[in-house]
Amino acid sequence: MVAVDNLAAAAGVRIGMRRREAEAVCPAVMTLVSDPGAETARFEPVAQAIEEIVPRIEVMAPGLVFAPVTGAVRYYGGERSLAERVAKEVEAVAGPGFLMGLAAGPFAAQRAAEQATSEAPLHLVEDDAAFLASLDVATLGREDLASVFHWLGITTLGELSELPRAAVVSRFGPDGLAAHRTALGEDRATSARVIPADLAVEERFSPPLESIEQAAFVARALAHRLLEALADEGAAPHRVEVAAEAADGEVRSRTWRSADPFDESSLAERVRWQLRAWLDRARLRSGPGIRGGLVRLRITPADLSDEGRQLALHEDARSAAEADRALVQTQAIVGSDGVLQAQPQGGRDPAERVAWHRWGEEAPAPVRDPRAPWPGRLPSPSPALAPPDPVRLEVEWDGGMPTRVRLGSRWVEVLSWAGPWRKVGRWWEGEGPADRYQIVTSAGAFLCEEREGATWMTGVYD
Amino acid sequence: MAVAKTALEDLLALEPGRVTGLVGHPGFGLTRLGLTLLASRASLGPVAYLDVRGWLSPPAAWESGIPPERLIVVRCDDPVVWGQVAANLLEGVKAVYAEVPGGAKPEQLRRLGALARSRQTPLVLRPVKGDLPSGLAHLRVEARRVEWEGADAGHGRLRRRRMVFEASGKAMRGAARLIELEDDGTDTLRLVPGLAAAPARRAAG
Repeated sequence: MVAVDNLAAAAGVRIGMRRREAEAVCPAVMTLVSDPGAETARFEPVAQAIEEIVPRIEVMAPGLVFAPVTGAVRYYGGERSLAERVAKEVEAVAGPGFLMGLAAGPFAAQRAAEQATSEAPLHLVEDDAAFLASLDVATLGREDLASVFHWLGITTLGELSELPRAAVVSRFGPDGLAAHRTALGEDRATSARVIPADLAVEERFSPPLESIEQAAFVARALAHRLLEALADEGAAPHRVEVAAEAADGEVRSRTWRSADPFDESSLAERVRWQLRAWLDRARLRSGPGIRGGLVRLRITPADLSDEGRQLALHEDARSAAEADRALVQTQAIVGSDGVLQAQPQGGRDPAERVAWHRWGEEAPAPVRDPRAPWPGRLPSPSPALAPPDPVRLEVEWDGGMPTRVRLGSRWVEVLSWAGPWRKVGRWWEGEGPADRYQIVTSAGAFLCEEREGATWMTGVYD
Repeated sequence: MAVAKTALEDLLALEPGRVTGLVGHPGFGLTRLGLTLLASRASLGPVAYLDVRGWLSPPAAWESGIPPERLIVVRCDDPVVWGQVAANLLEGVKAVYAEVPGGAKPEQLRRLGALARSRQTPLVLRPVKGDLPSGLAHLRVEARRVEWEGADAGHGRLRRRRMVFEASGKAMRGAARLIELEDDGTDTLRLVPGLAAAPARRAAG
């Protein structure tokens, strides 16, 4: 579970639970697959509400915003009164349930927000150094580093910050340096870089773009151009401003930030989410968006660091850029749904064991745990081909045993077979039970299912 | 195991800029062979599978040794743009396995062969129906026979198979050879030793 609503939380469902655990504590819980694009669209009104009070906010992810509040605190007469004002505005558009943390740096502020509760939604950090020192090293979000620190007896960020920086860098390299900086509250700082006069990239469109598919294509192309230009400078952005001009002349902008420097894929993804949020809001007339389509898109980098993507020894930058360019052009021909990648997930059938996602997008978390045992799953070898929908197969049976299979216009003899393995099916979705067989003929082997008196081919061992 | 693998790579390997043709009906293990050949290039960067029917089952690719993050599956069933898509892929990825739709023209395939040569990208062509134009493939592999072990009248399950292919073309120095491979679902196809031989009809001719 990456997010739960108030009703689910009241029933005992908690973030971090597995789906099965959540269903155990609350059988009526409805689980949805995470869709960051849709979440950004839903989150956009919240971002806009905060931006009305605090300018130059930075979106880290849907649901997580950093706001530089120094000026606003002075204007509203204090941190608590500012927080109350933000709470009132956000509650008006999104209802209760949000949490706020106020600290000198973003890392501490995020940890403070995580410690806030629905009863005390604002966690105000009075002493940043003391607050950070009390945090466990696991809060750095690096399991590998944290386990080594724990093994060495360093359990809190305070203990880590007391170590000499040179010793930490010598032992743990750049990751250790980043951790040490974070422990000392220096996570905001990036290596100062001289930013060339104008590295922003821009594209104009006539006629205006109205579909998210077109916008996604443009987003990737612009991200590619920007990062290529920055790579020549040996720099990478931690923060970008995405500005879009609508056909009616209105310009909307939003700043996104990332703890690690953006790469092409993550930057294109953020731009696409943001454009989707604006286009959706205009289309649904639910608030200010890009009305009449997009006529200009501009991405401006900020907070450059010299932590550009370090390629592995066997990789070379030119090959990676060529691959990206070729796949972007392929997407332009077949659409973004035609260029795919697959990740393993749990399941019993070949099709169930695959989680597809579009190339260039972040792989979603698997819906079913691939490391779980999945009794009834057929071991390897797996069928190399699996039709998207089962194909009807004519099989002759004799005394419950398959004897002949029709392949095209000819009947071929069944040489051997294995099964049946009973599959109960998702009865709650109206799916009946089925018997699975592996049928071997002189023309190859097939994975089949028999249900409701018919046989269906679900895989070919090609 | 390593010796057998080296021997297989000596006989059937993707060569930069060369076309490999896989010819035969589904069920004889040609997709598995193609994926194993593709896996040998996946250590260098992304490899692409141009899927005309939308039937590729990625677990078989993973079992063949292609890491999930290195496999790009492109679905395109339109013969009009298929050639353009295949050409795009040849421009960027480390190897391309392309199913060839029924409507693809011989000159289109020859152009792809030329592009593969100029880009030094290995190209595997697998016609969904019929054969490839003669002389196009540097290595032509035709399915001959497959025999499964493990399943028997309702007992057991499929465990391993022996696949017999006929390899021909310039890569075989003009002679056709029968090659028998064993596949047990792991990432290594083992060459069955001593069975690579010229088919009788060729020897007689």
